[in-house]
Amino acid sequence: MSWTRSARAVLAFSLLVLLHYTIRPFLGWRTPVDFLVIAVLLSAVRVRPGAAALIGFCTGLVADSLTPSAFGAGALAMTAVGAAASWLKAVFFADNVVLHGFFFFVGKWAFDIVYVTAERRMHGVELATQILLWSPLSAAATAVAGVVLLLMLRPVLEPQAA
Amino acid sequence: MARAVRSGTRMDTVLLVACCVMALLATVLPLNLREAIAGGLRRTVVAPLVSLQEQAVRGRSAFLSRDATTSRLDSVALRNMQLAKLETENERLRALLGLGRELQWGFVSAEALRIADIGEEHSRTLTVGSRVGVEPKTPVVAPEGLVGMVRTVDPNSSIAILWSHSDFAASAMSADRSAYGIVYPHLSESSRDAEIPPERYLLEMRGVAFRSALKPGTQIVTSGLGGVYPAGIPIGTVLGELRTSEGWARTYLIRPAVRPPDVSNVIVLLPKRIQGQSLDRVWRSTASADSAARRIAAAGDSLARRATADSMRAVEAAAARRAADSVAGQPAQPGGTRPAAADTTRRTQGRADTTRPTVRRPDAPRPGAQQ
Repeated sequence: MSWTRSARAVLAFSLLVLLHYTIRPFLGWRTPVDFLVIAVLLSAVRVRPGAAALIGFCTGLVADSLTPSAFGAGALAMTAVGAAASWLKAVFFADNVVLHGFFFFVGKWAFDIVYVTAERRMHGVELATQILLWSPLSAAATAVAGVVLLLMLRPVLEPQAA
Repeated sequence: MARAVRSGTRMDTVLLVACCVMALLATVLPLNLREAIAGGLRRTVVAPLVSLQEQAVRGRSAFLSRDATTSRLDSVALRNMQLAKLETENERLRALLGLGRELQWGFVSAEALRIADIGEEHSRTLTVGSRVGVEPKTPVVAPEGLVGMVRTVDPNSSIAILWSHSDFAASAMSADRSAYGIVYPHLSESSRDAEIPPERYLLEMRGVAFRSALKPGTQIVTSGLGGVYPAGIPIGTVLGELRTSEGWARTYLIRPAVRPPDVSNVIVLLPKRIQGQSLDRVWRSTASADSAARRIAAAGDSLARRATADSMRAVEAAAARRAADSVAGQPAQPGGTRPAAADTTRRTQGRADTTRPTVRRPDAPRPGAQQ
């Protein structure tokens, strides 16, 4: 990956992190858009699985610093999602918006499942409701936002012509 | 090439496993350690993001509470408008109390209710009648001056005409008693003098001797002649001279002391108070009436003041007890003199009531002096 492409990827990543800490709390939805997952997924497909795992770990640790009671859960979930996305990057090469959306959806849902499981705070019905209701809804919102952002950021990220 | 790929794959696996292990370790760390790491991150790397998040949350709160804030602001503004009205009314009532204090006896206070009938805008219904001693032709006054006169009396109410009524007339003089005349309402709505604007709610002082020239601003009061109004009630101030066809007397235009729209609470002077009594002293100056009102206002706040004084006394009593205890531990002073600390405490107690001046008998010893 050239320096220019790396710089653009870092810029897009930073932008998404900023959105996560500005737009998300401002909207205050019950099923929030997870810009950090979008950022990790978009970065993961451009690097090797090891680097993707490291990016996910660091991003998750930053997110966990604001929720010390679930410290480590976000890092674990992001690591898993980042590494998996990097190994499955071939899917992203398909220039299909619906497929991108589906991948964001699966990525966010998987993140939530790993997160609530590692967090060990929810049990029983509450856990089931979170995993089967709120997480898919949040994943859907994230998928829609991810697709929109991907279309908007395409000039920055450049199509994967290589 | 194949070795490089294998090496890369092994490196990826190592990194992934390391990250997973570290994340799992983080989840099982003791709470204080987790908090320490999270706190360190929040204070360094994540600090700008935390700040951004706080601002976003604050922005959302402001956005959501915008309607509520606007509504609260509106209600506060409305209450503020009502407050100004209440303050004005309060001022008037305090002034009335001050006037009552100056009059001391021979009066009743009443509400002056506006009569809604057409043509009755210059009359008021008073909420007192013959049962409290009100009789026809008794004067009605306000803190500012003369309001009018009672015309008809019922047991519990009476009707008074204001000075603006066409039947009103009062014997008047300048405050320095240099000019006498009769005051009537100024009924003409057109000005006869270019310098004096046309106005319905003014008075005329007619029949002033030609030699008695009054300057604008001269205060006009009742003269006491005629037996209806006692001397010394302010009527108004001279605005200027009206040009009339009469060559032997002057007529002056008077700005009344009392505005009819302000007449809501009044004082009715009872007949026994009027007989031969000059009220000159009561309205000697507006300042005296104001100061009387202020005294009454201060007295009205006595509850709050007393509560403050009580709390201060309690604190000082506690301090005095502590001082007395400490003095009791020391040997008694020769001659049985009181410990200085006790005197100090007493002097401090006297200082609590700041609104009441300290009165000391001339023969009283000075505080701290040996008896």
